[in-house]
Amino acid sequence: MPVHLLSRRQLLKLSPVLLLAGCNSAPEGKTESFLRTFQGFNDWMQSKVFNPERLAAEYSDNELTTEERFRVNGKDAESPDIQVDNWAVTVEGLVDRPGSYPLKTILHLPKRVMNTRHCCVEGWSMIPKWGGTPLRGLLELAGVRPEARYIAVESADDYTTSYDMPSALHAQTLICYEAYGKPLTIEHGAPVRIVIPTKLGYKSAKWVRKIVVTNDKPGGYWEDQGYDWFAGI
Amino acid sequence: MAPTKEYQHPLIIRFTHWINFTALGVMVTSGLRIYNASPLWDFQFPSVLTLGGWLAGARMWHFFGMWLFVLNGLAWCGYNLLSKHGRKTTLFRGTDISGVLPMLQYYLRIRKAHPPSGKYNALQKLTYTTVSIFGVGAILTGMSLYWPVQFGWIASAFGGYDTARIWHFVFATSFVLFLGGHLIMVITAGWSNFVSMITGWKKKDVQEEVTRT
Repeated sequence: MPVHLLSRRQLLKLSPVLLLAGCNSAPEGKTESFLRTFQGFNDWMQSKVFNPERLAAEYSDNELTTEERFRVNGKDAESPDIQVDNWAVTVEGLVDRPGSYPLKTILHLPKRVMNTRHCCVEGWSMIPKWGGTPLRGLLELAGVRPEARYIAVESADDYTTSYDMPSALHAQTLICYEAYGKPLTIEHGAPVRIVIPTKLGYKSAKWVRKIVVTNDKPGGYWEDQGYDWFAGI
Repeated sequence: MAPTKEYQHPLIIRFTHWINFTALGVMVTSGLRIYNASPLWDFQFPSVLTLGGWLAGARMWHFFGMWLFVLNGLAWCGYNLLSKHGRKTTLFRGTDISGVLPMLQYYLRIRKAHPPSGKYNALQKLTYTTVSIFGVGAILTGMSLYWPVQFGWIASAFGGYDTARIWHFVFATSFVLFLGGHLIMVITAGWSNFVSMITGWKKKDVQEEVTRT
């Protein structure tokens, strides 16, 4: 006689649990393509909610995260081997003056210091004191074409990310070279990094080597793996 | 007398009930995975309770589920606030205050007879109304975490970005606690009561009829 471990009714009662089994893995197949399509819709919605004129809150000096707690986060545990000397940022694509823009040129552009919140996708946040120049200035120097829609950024460690043009031109989107009034340290992205307080932390690329202005929507290191592309906050 | 049936839940209530169940299931389980990425306290949730497999997967689920939860919640609240039936049966109002204590006494077995009530008793109305307000709280705090720059004022209203995160978690916890209580009540009330949330119809209980007004 067969031994019934579970009656049919008991099994039916367990069915929600059985349905849930397997949800604890990354979305695959049709589920993933559905969720990614939906994510595209949310990206579009985010681009509509984003107000290019609205500034992220700037905090007073006594609200800053202390320098000891200025957190390092990146795709790799170790910082890349960076040679800061003779650093230059290449700007190419839909610009009238493509080329290599040396650090010295960037340092001469108007400076902006701001205490803004850096929100990590993981849920933690910090308020460092950033110093740099609006990315907009460099893009204008390079003669960005008015019809251009996207900016792709490449780092010395092969990290990549990209932005919509309104976010790239936002007044608080910086090419940052200072934190807490001192030059950036290597682990925080020296000599230049992006700081974009209107987006999640993974949009603030470190060790920026190259900026490409394009109309073909670029991806990015995390974005290609499933994180939202617009990532507006 | 042959057993008769009573129409208990209109279609929109049954429909929104099960959508809400699904949406909250997605939101809570994917939310736990998001929590685990940067725990607020000194504990993480076992991954078997979570949805999405990793942070990006959980975020995809969470920001899909939020639309289900919000749109469905609007339909449910809209019905209960705009229809006479909804306002009468579900919305907790001043006149219901006096009914709360007797119901509590009944549930705690201090009082034997079920106090007279409509479709929902005073305690149920209070619970459903409160948990709906918590739902609004979950949506508002969720917006403040999703858009701390665009809707910075919401985060400020909840005490800042980090505090809003705690509130978001508190509201989510309240839904889980509600589900626990809700399940106990459903089991106590019996099979026919459960079926009525699917078919709309409930077997009329003669004894119950006496206590109704």
